[in-house]
Amino acid sequence: MSGQTGEKVIFAILGVPMLICILIFLWILSLLLTGIGTVRWELFTMSALRGGMLEMIVGTIYLLLGAAAVAGPIGVLAAIYLVEYAPSGGLTRIIDQAINNLAGVPSIVIGLFGYTFFCRHLGLGVSLAAGWLTLALMMLPIVIRGSEEALRMVPASFREAALALGATRWKAISSTILPAAAPGVVTSVILGMARVAGETAAILFTSCVLITRGLPKTPFEPVMALSYNLFVQIVALGAPAQRVFGITLVLFMIVTSLSLSAILLRSYYRLRQPWLRMKG
Amino acid sequence: METRSFKKGLPKLFMHLRSQPIEFVLFLCASFSVVILLLMLLFVVMEGSLAFTRLGTQLILGQMWKTNSDLYGGFPLIYGSLMVVSGALLISIPLGICTSIFIAEILPFQLRDPIKSVIELLASIPSVIYGFIGVTFLAPLIASIFGLQSGATAFTASLILAIMVLPTIVGVSGETISAVPIEYKEAALALGASKWQTIRNVILPLSKSGMLASVMLGFGRAIGETVAVLMVAGNVAMVPTPPWNYLAPVYPVTAVIAMQMGEAAVGSLEYSALFGLGLILFIITFAVNTIADVIVRRRPVGRSVQL
Amino acid sequence: MNRERSHGSIQTSRAIIVMTLLFIVGFASGYYTDTLFSSQTVVWKEDVAWRTESISISGSTTVLPIANACAIAFMNKYPGTSITVTGGGSGRGYSEVIDGVVDIGMASRPPKQKEINDAKEKGVALWLYPIALDAVCVVVHPSVNKTLKLTLQEVGKIFAGIYTRWSDVDPSLPDEPIYVVVREPGSGTRGTFEEYVMEPYGYDVTDAAHVRPSNPAVRTTIETTPYSIGYVGLGFVTSKMVVVALAEEEGEPYIYPSIENIASFKYPISRYLYLVTSTRPESGSLADRFIDFILSPEGQEIVEEQGFLKLPRYPAGV
Repeated sequence: MSGQTGEKVIFAILGVPMLICILIFLWILSLLLTGIGTVRWELFTMSALRGGMLEMIVGTIYLLLGAAAVAGPIGVLAAIYLVEYAPSGGLTRIIDQAINNLAGVPSIVIGLFGYTFFCRHLGLGVSLAAGWLTLALMMLPIVIRGSEEALRMVPASFREAALALGATRWKAISSTILPAAAPGVVTSVILGMARVAGETAAILFTSCVLITRGLPKTPFEPVMALSYNLFVQIVALGAPAQRVFGITLVLFMIVTSLSLSAILLRSYYRLRQPWLRMKG
Repeated sequence: METRSFKKGLPKLFMHLRSQPIEFVLFLCASFSVVILLLMLLFVVMEGSLAFTRLGTQLILGQMWKTNSDLYGGFPLIYGSLMVVSGALLISIPLGICTSIFIAEILPFQLRDPIKSVIELLASIPSVIYGFIGVTFLAPLIASIFGLQSGATAFTASLILAIMVLPTIVGVSGETISAVPIEYKEAALALGASKWQTIRNVILPLSKSGMLASVMLGFGRAIGETVAVLMVAGNVAMVPTPPWNYLAPVYPVTAVIAMQMGEAAVGSLEYSALFGLGLILFIITFAVNTIADVIVRRRPVGRSVQL
Repeated sequence: MNRERSHGSIQTSRAIIVMTLLFIVGFASGYYTDTLFSSQTVVWKEDVAWRTESISISGSTTVLPIANACAIAFMNKYPGTSITVTGGGSGRGYSEVIDGVVDIGMASRPPKQKEINDAKEKGVALWLYPIALDAVCVVVHPSVNKTLKLTLQEVGKIFAGIYTRWSDVDPSLPDEPIYVVVREPGSGTRGTFEEYVMEPYGYDVTDAAHVRPSNPAVRTTIETTPYSIGYVGLGFVTSKMVVVALAEEEGEPYIYPSIENIASFKYPISRYLYLVTSTRPESGSLADRFIDFILSPEGQEIVEEQGFLKLPRYPAGV
């Protein structure tokens, strides 16, 4: 009996940190929500030239989609190689290690590299394309790791069945394993986008400007983005909180809706695909 | 010897290309990360080379960071970074690990996913917003609690960073806890162990290395954080007196880079010194990641273990 | 678990060759694109051509609010034009104009000797257009004193760390440590401040100074930090801080940065804010039109709205 009460006390103590985490979250949420009354919603669809933030929202989406278009295919193909083809040797370990290290490179260093390599060395200048490539570097490890996990979840019987039917190795992968892993792969890309959507340091030097007309027409033009704008508004222009609350909220909404959709997608397919439930 | 294998390797490569084009493409994609990492190293070293040749170890050990007099001693900055990060980890490790144990083992099943999602959402708040909250709410609070002139201190930066790395620690260590095979737990419970005994004697030892790895990842995330730190750390390029005084301002490396990069003339010593600092950051995170990697590789259980 | 060894797998030596090739391709591609993007030709502008042109501006964060507001007004007035504005700092403004990365730079100080030399080396002549008047105001938190008067040298001693407590400056001031706030190196505001206050006396900024990246950041710090001292552009002074009256020498009159005192340059740290171009923009080009716009009454009104001073007289034909 006393052992049980002791246990309960321990559990209660362990629960305190979690409550603190939740409280922190609620505190931040409440800080953000206090500003919601001051936001003029029509700003969302108004051009930046008229004081709105349409270009910044679309610009952020441009950056995200472009980065996903670069990092998605490369990441998925890399994951397929690592799961299906890679020999278990020193080389694979090096690749593995490189992916982990890439994930750990501070975003400011990625920004520095993006500036010297994409902007100056490749001559892209401060441009949308440079932003895509820089952000893609940040997304890549997330996409690879997520896709790898999704591919590993597919039961071996799928591949064996396809191979037994006379399919070539690639055929087996592309026709059975990849479709089965697709939801997980998509989730990993969305998570990657959520990770970089609020990123400021990486695009600080590489692709953003404070104001320009309209959206970039070619990838070689700079772009306006929410996170950068927020940074400049607060840090350099000293705009009062109320004036930038709209931007803060939109950015928060974009990032959280990306994360939430990834979370929902993941749990939905966990229910749909029985083999995931077995291992999940 | 090496040249021979090189000569032999090249034609074989093209033969291989013909027979296995798909595998080759896949391999290209996989090796992309390695190449990028090498390019990153090369370019940061190239841009920083002027600083290394002109300043030498002064860049790491020098005590004075004074752009006006072309003095670039990075020691106070590196010290500031490490100080802020270790403070953040001291706060977030106990919080994060207890939380992950609580969520994975004690919380009722239905509540697990929602609460995990809430903590995951903490990770998705952009760092500008954290910095903004730090400046407008946290710093004045800390100033009034400790009776300081200003709330922009290493402690404030540590607090904000702790919140920012919490989701990483909770997420990764939670994953390793749930990777402990259910059979182990069931066996322990069947032997009459209580829930707490199971956690302490079965789950914790098995997921210890995973937790350590989560801490390493948190360290990497924290030391690279820029925008929020720049806004709350106080930015004084001096080692605080005494050196463990968390209520003094510091000037972390990332803040210096973000602050001065826009102003430095390309090719100047200042520009190069900033890249030198970037390289130091790169090396620190590289080392930490490698350690984390070794730990994870050694861990007794993982997702790949099946009974 | 799924990592089967396949006999067709790429072996290490070959893999290393592939990676090396990829590395070389990545490295070398820059030299190819260099020639691809640098082939810009200069053409004579018709009078209507500027209406569809685009230019880019970067530089001083002090001038940024003016350029930002003017660019928005200008683009609203002339749909079809595109003006891209971004910050960075006066140093970046000069270097990017010299390198031809941007069409117009913003600066809150005249070019340094090094920048002039760089321009000469690259064969460009810098053209400076004063667009507004500004003063670097020395400000303190109200806790120090409600009316503070200092000589330039005293201010210099405070920022150099020679005075560390307010009572060192004057026994009537509180016996509290001085909290020194400065701007980041490269900032035009800092450059101007040091040129008048530090350099004449051979002082260097103390190590204990708190660095802030912008005028508003300094403003917030001064407003919230007791016993702090800092400097901001005129447009950033608020009622929550005390502006210090300055005297050039002991015995000279102490002067507040009022509009008349700044316009007549009686206030010791008055300065112009500039737009900078490399060589004079062709008349009728968008850069030329935009500079004209800022100098026009309409543009000067925006300058005032942003908290700076109009140019004392309309500088015709700059």
